[in-house]
Amino acid sequence: MVGDPDAELLLAFQRGDAAAFRTLFERHARAMVAFCNHFVRNPARAEELAQDVFLKLHQAAPRYQPTARFKTFLYRIASNHCLNELRRGEQAARRDARARPDDEPEDLDALPGSAPTPEQEAAGGALARAVEVLLDRLPEKQRVAFVLCRFQGLSYEEIAAALDTSVPAVKSLIHRATVTAAEALAPFAPGGEVLS
Amino acid sequence: MTHVGEELTALIDGALAPAERERVEAHLAACAGCRAARDRTAAALAALDRLPAPPEPSPGFEQRFYARLARQRADAPRGALRRLPWRFLAPLAAAGAAAALVVGVGLRERHRQAFIADHLDLFESPELVASVGDVAPQDVEVVAHLDELEGTP
Repeated sequence: MVGDPDAELLLAFQRGDAAAFRTLFERHARAMVAFCNHFVRNPARAEELAQDVFLKLHQAAPRYQPTARFKTFLYRIASNHCLNELRRGEQAARRDARARPDDEPEDLDALPGSAPTPEQEAAGGALARAVEVLLDRLPEKQRVAFVLCRFQGLSYEEIAAALDTSVPAVKSLIHRATVTAAEALAPFAPGGEVLS
Repeated sequence: MTHVGEELTALIDGALAPAERERVEAHLAACAGCRAARDRTAAALAALDRLPAPPEPSPGFEQRFYARLARQRADAPRGALRRLPWRFLAPLAAAGAAAALVVGVGLRERHRQAFIADHLDLFESPELVASVGDVAPQDVEVVAHLDELEGTP
């Protein structure tokens, strides 16, 4: 695609240039780990998922058509992978809930990845925790659209392409997620109760 | 007056087309409620800018990735075979079995004909000739009376 240097790199990789793939990995690895961490909140697991995404990118590269921007191609793979991971986690949580006796309350702080790390506590942990709780509350499609928009910086058009949906649908997903976010993050806004 | 909803979020995100943006901004100029909603939403979203930066991947992240990639590529032929769906494998297996059957039957027939050629003397026995499936009864009769026929000038 014209004006997309990453797309040029992927096309170079299609032609056998292994260094081009290495450059793409170096450019996008950190953002990909951060993206995956919004779904699992476990740095080690997020790294595994990000590696999975790049393995899939490596496999899918021969099918890449330069009509799509590289970023949407990459985040389409990543979004599908993270949503599958989310669904696997929800299924496991439902299995655990069925296995747990009714009189035993669920200990939310004991759930994997939900406890704030010392680093989070030290650096605006309350806000980070509020965002985690917010993301957990969002339906999965809203969650992935919100993360792609607010944290990965994708445009509505790029998100629509990544999620294989229409721009009006993305507009609606992001609006609904943003309304929920505005309520959840109000205490952290200027004039709110909490300023981290 | 129709208030703005989705358009408000899209306006904050700079995702409106010029004509739509003008329409929404005109509404905001006249509607204190929507202006307040816009300011609340924008302020809450601005809080996201104060989130701590995401951590760097741990040391060795890239090396671990390339080690996984190398393992995956080494396993690729076996993995590819395992991933072949049965709907493709089943017809292949059936075609293979049919071909083996045709070849097997052909070989057996050739073997049988070679055996007969090598053991023509055995076929002087009418019982043995009768035991061969595709021999007509009159042929068995001929073999049974070979002596008489051989004596015939």
